[in-house]
Amino acid sequence: MNTNGNANGSAGVGAVEDIIICRGVNKWFGSFQALKDVSTTVKRGEKVVIVGPSGSGKSTFIRTINRLEEHQSGDIIVDGIELTEDVRNIDAIRSEVGMVFQQFNLFPHLSVKDNITLAPIKVRHWPREQAEQVAGELLERVGIYDQADKYPAELSGGQQQRVAIARALAMQPRIMLFDEPTSALDPEMINEVLDVMRELANSGMTMLIVTHEIGFAREVADRIIMFDEGRIVEENTANDFFDNPKSERTKLFLSQIL
Amino acid sequence: MTTGATQPPASMPPPRTEAGALGWAKHNLFSNWFNTILTIIFGIAIAIALWFSLKWALADADWTVIVRLGGRFIIGQYNTEAACPGQNCFWRPQASLLMITTLMGMTWAVMGGGVTRQIALAAGVGAAAFALLPYSMDTMGIDVRLLLAANLPALAVGWALGRYTPLGTVRNISFLGVAVFLLTLVLLRGLPGVSFLPPVRVIYWGGLMLNLILAVGGIAVSLPIGIALALGRRSNLPVVKTLCVIFIEVFRGVPLITLLFMSQTLVPLAFPEDFPQNSLFRAGVVITLFSAAYMAENIRGGLQALHPGQEEAARALGLAGWQTTMLISLPQAIRNVIPAIVGQFIGLFKDTSLVYIIGMLDIVEIGRAFILGNVEYRASARELFIFVAVVFWIFTYGMSYVSRRIEDHLGVGRR
Repeated sequence: MNTNGNANGSAGVGAVEDIIICRGVNKWFGSFQALKDVSTTVKRGEKVVIVGPSGSGKSTFIRTINRLEEHQSGDIIVDGIELTEDVRNIDAIRSEVGMVFQQFNLFPHLSVKDNITLAPIKVRHWPREQAEQVAGELLERVGIYDQADKYPAELSGGQQQRVAIARALAMQPRIMLFDEPTSALDPEMINEVLDVMRELANSGMTMLIVTHEIGFAREVADRIIMFDEGRIVEENTANDFFDNPKSERTKLFLSQIL
Repeated sequence: MTTGATQPPASMPPPRTEAGALGWAKHNLFSNWFNTILTIIFGIAIAIALWFSLKWALADADWTVIVRLGGRFIIGQYNTEAACPGQNCFWRPQASLLMITTLMGMTWAVMGGGVTRQIALAAGVGAAAFALLPYSMDTMGIDVRLLLAANLPALAVGWALGRYTPLGTVRNISFLGVAVFLLTLVLLRGLPGVSFLPPVRVIYWGGLMLNLILAVGGIAVSLPIGIALALGRRSNLPVVKTLCVIFIEVFRGVPLITLLFMSQTLVPLAFPEDFPQNSLFRAGVVITLFSAAYMAENIRGGLQALHPGQEEAARALGLAGWQTTMLISLPQAIRNVIPAIVGQFIGLFKDTSLVYIIGMLDIVEIGRAFILGNVEYRASARELFIFVAVVFWIFTYGMSYVSRRIEDHLGVGRR
């Protein structure tokens, strides 16, 4: 169905509808198999929410997409670049793919502004003025322009996560990965982060989101993927997933969380 | 501002017992009968100790040995006839001191006050104050005094250079710092064939100057080596990792005194035969490597303590491995272990005294040798060693003070 798998390093060549292609991906941690024969494709601009019980492999899956975890067999092709041992491919993919972590992982020794400008300056080799201008625009977009000179520890959790989103966006990625972005937040701060993600979804960004926020998933997702024990047990549109799930495992999962 | 009933009550001033010296004393010294008794007992003990120490220091002690040794404490036998035959070489250490105060002035101008200003002023004023020592003009000539007093204008010149010339950047000052250190070594060692710089053998270098040269060189070189060893020990390459582990464990596992003895025979094997060497160089190499082994473990501790998410976030942004290390991991790791690093620096500074073992006269040994050689001063050993201890303490306390200020500045423990 797709032939650009061996474009090998030439980003965007023959870039068609499918921006992420996974075929038969397997991953082991020691003798524990975390991903079992995972195959799926994500279209450009699609919002995919990934759900599943803890330990089901959903975080591991999105972490293989930018090679924070190495897969041992199967193919992963991101925007026409195949993920292989080749370090240049990995770096090329990482600068195409933004990632937001559960624990924010902001750099505590750098100011908010420096957190955002670091990668554009060091990886994209932008001049500092350009990077700072983009950082300013992004902070405006996530609603914390006035905090640019503070340090991460001086911000609330919700503000930190919004900085983390701005930091990922500064690299102008084509894909954004969210690994439980609201799980570490106090309840009253969850919405400020989800609002930013909604706005991002409306702008047409391709997004893969691991989350337990079911309301958000139903509202934003084009498609929902359910993981269990390292396998995809169901892939469905958001409405069908919640209203008429196909798999028994999904029904059980939904009955526990809804 | 509204004055409605909903206005929260303004906070009231604390009662007299909660604030001020009285409040403090009540809380900390006399909060109950047990504390009160302890306070009184320790108060009396401190008063007695203070009384006898002051009485001894001011009335009974004979400090003439300090006066008699004078400049020997600072430069050892550098300015003796044996070291510098036919010439007066006092100006060479002094010229290097002038370079250092100039550099301090520049640093003050660039860093803009704070702790750099305090250190620069202390050094400049301290050095200039030596010019006023009540020695006779025969013992301490006008030329010596003028060069010492010149440290104040040097400080001002440095400040102006840092403020008004393009030299005044952190980068330039780092380079100048290295240059001044190397220039100091050349100036003190002398150049064969240059008539006003006759070579002075390193066995005549001594006093505080010797301790400081070894400490500054050791600190400046052992930190980068320690960082490299720490990174090497965490490397995925088995060969690199094994070599670093062996190096660290060997240098940590052998007493420094043993290393110093061995240095005299082993260090020459590590360099080409015609490589210029001397006992000072050999001692410096060994002290530096010894300190680097400890430094490596301090820094490795800082690296271990980092959350793995930091590295992941950096890699996810597309930073290369070395960029992640240099920009994300190391700055945080070093910042978190500043107390341990400074502890290591202080240890290194004190350990420089051990060079007496290979026959060099550092500030401790010059005093000890003097007392052994002059029977009439034998009774003054107490005064002499107390004086040396105070000199060491001033420098080590300075280091620990600077480190605390740096920690405050970086917000260690807060962010």
